[in-house]
Amino acid sequence: MSLRILVVGCGAVAQRLYGQPLQQLEKAGLLRVAGLVDPVASHAAAMRSRFPSATTHADAASALATTRPDVTMVLSSAHLHAEHTLLALQAGSHVLCEKPMAQTSAECGRMTAAARAANRILAIAMIRRFFPAFAQFKALIESGRLGTLRAFEYREGHKFEWDVTTPAAFRRRHEGGTGVLFDIGPHALDHLAWTFGPLSVVDYADDALSGIESNLTMRVRSTRCPGSIQLSWDNPLTNELRVTGDRGEAVLRIDRFDQLAIRESDGWAVIPVTADFPADLAAAGGRRLSPRSYVQAMSCQIVQVLRSIVLGEAPAVDGESGRRTIAALEAGLASAVPLEMPWLPQRERQAFAQLHWNHTR
Amino acid sequence: MTDLAIIGAGGFVGTRLVESLVLDGRPGIRPIVRSYRNLAGLCRFGSTIDVRLADAEAVDSLAEALAGVRTAVNLTNGAPAGILRSTRTIFEACRRAGVPRLVHLSSAVVFGDVERPTGDDAAPVDKHWMPYARAKATSEVWLRSRLRESGPEVILLRPGIVWGVRSLHTLDIVKALAARRAYLVDDGRGIFNGIYVDNLVACIRAAADARGQAPGFYNVGDRERVTWREFYDAFAGALECDTARLPRVSGEKFPHSVRSSVDTIQSLPLVNELYHRMKTHIPDGLKASLKSRLEGGYEYGRVGGRYVEQPSVDRELWHLQRVAHKLPIDKFATTFRFSQPVSFHEGVQRTLAWLDTIGVGAAAVHAS
Repeated sequence: MSLRILVVGCGAVAQRLYGQPLQQLEKAGLLRVAGLVDPVASHAAAMRSRFPSATTHADAASALATTRPDVTMVLSSAHLHAEHTLLALQAGSHVLCEKPMAQTSAECGRMTAAARAANRILAIAMIRRFFPAFAQFKALIESGRLGTLRAFEYREGHKFEWDVTTPAAFRRRHEGGTGVLFDIGPHALDHLAWTFGPLSVVDYADDALSGIESNLTMRVRSTRCPGSIQLSWDNPLTNELRVTGDRGEAVLRIDRFDQLAIRESDGWAVIPVTADFPADLAAAGGRRLSPRSYVQAMSCQIVQVLRSIVLGEAPAVDGESGRRTIAALEAGLASAVPLEMPWLPQRERQAFAQLHWNHTR
Repeated sequence: MTDLAIIGAGGFVGTRLVESLVLDGRPGIRPIVRSYRNLAGLCRFGSTIDVRLADAEAVDSLAEALAGVRTAVNLTNGAPAGILRSTRTIFEACRRAGVPRLVHLSSAVVFGDVERPTGDDAAPVDKHWMPYARAKATSEVWLRSRLRESGPEVILLRPGIVWGVRSLHTLDIVKALAARRAYLVDDGRGIFNGIYVDNLVACIRAAADARGQAPGFYNVGDRERVTWREFYDAFAGALECDTARLPRVSGEKFPHSVRSSVDTIQSLPLVNELYHRMKTHIPDGLKASLKSRLEGGYEYGRVGGRYVEQPSVDRELWHLQRVAHKLPIDKFATTFRFSQPVSFHEGVQRTLAWLDTIGVGAAAVHAS
């Protein structure tokens, strides 16, 4: 059985992350890319080079009517996720929606309600759920091996190098921008909530003046322990999740698929990473894969969506889980204060506090 | 008229320059970047700046972006093969757009190991081993030939190592100290020809704002004479690292290793150009795997336990630590009546404050 796929949004995310795994899964007979949607013809054409039999479209509504897909992959700019997801669900298609699920939790609520009403699956793309080290880190935390957890520190940041084809992410929030909060934030909060339990935001600070933030810090509480989060688009951070417990400490490297280690009484030990995920649609005993690249992890993520449809398994991240993540991000924004930058001269710190967006609005 | 255009504003120095100008309330700031991704560090300033997109190697688009500008600052820092091209293009675009002044950032690396006292107007060393240094030197020679031609007044600044908050170079050194894998060449007696990032930003602003003509080439750096041992000591204390226990490396002959061989091959002109063209096409998985192999084992602890005995020596750092003389900075100070705003000690304190916030400073060490 080959499911019909419609790809809405053919920019950098589609071309760099989805193109190759979709092509491989098409070759394997698991799906067929039937349509490609993008208002910029060159973006759709770039994807069509991988899928010559797919039709190209300038808008999602006509593409849905023409191609009648089983699954719509919403890979458009973040401010269009809600609109495109609702259109697809109303057309009777299942949806895999890229992060961030939407710009507000209210939009997310409408999306999940539409999925329920249409009796269709709404899955949210969180590729890191398919990084084997991440899955093993979660298992490690749940095993209690670190004892009572004291705190975690999550730091992710480096110079932004994603070759985006539009400036959408960098616009002001009310103009559809994501900032680092809605760019890396969904990954971080989903991962942390998955690992440590539901999160609530204690405080939040960012560096935006009249624009959108490049750096932020948050303190959060989870059911297992409190934690801190630091995200950056331009600051070279450690790119680690570090958790301490009364029996030890563990570190997960956020930018790697297979690197985690634990410190117990006899020092640090690297944990061999072997976690794997289904790589086909066999109900049992099928092929499994332990990804070591984005292509492999994305392939597993897409397969999991197909398994949800064909075998009735749960998607890795459903709409309600995605909504909770966006609600946590919103709670952060609602309490935003200027980021502490103690390295700035005093007069610059004062000016920054005066010009911070939440002070001037 | 727009006060200042900053070409290549998305980098480490550029974003700090924009930040200092905006927080000083300066209007008329126009950052110019090559691609959308360079907006990531600038988007927080919103409507306080006038960002333009232009390619530093395309005269027409750059001249358009420079229209009405009083001073252009060239902070571009791409692949070595493109440095001379962008230098020429930026000069020509300024000429076409009628920009009166161009502040061009070169690098003290053009003087190699500074084996003898070297003035501001000395010629760069011949046939430097590093492609970046060769490209910067070639650009200097080309710009010098334009000093008396019609076109923008050229003020060329030649900073040494730009260190401090958000410097990857400083971060690498601090991480090496924390992991106990740092080393000192010739006992750390070499001169650290550095400039704290805020001091460089102040130099750029002084050059951009100067009244009257002041074309020429200027070394810029911190006024303090600091050795590499002193630079390491400034950070080592906060990382509970004893620099007396760091391994010593001879400055007589470079100790080759797998990593340095890779660096050497990569620095060959043709290979270097090919590398910069190909690197965006290498699959992420392969890139990460190669990086892991070259980096060696990851240090999961916040500080290393044992001091390394056989360090992996980086060729660029080895040469930098062999620098014999401090570059004079009097010409710039006199011409622009410049006084360094941040002392070496204060720069270290600010950098330590930054390191604490990113989890690699004193606070992180004590947490461990």
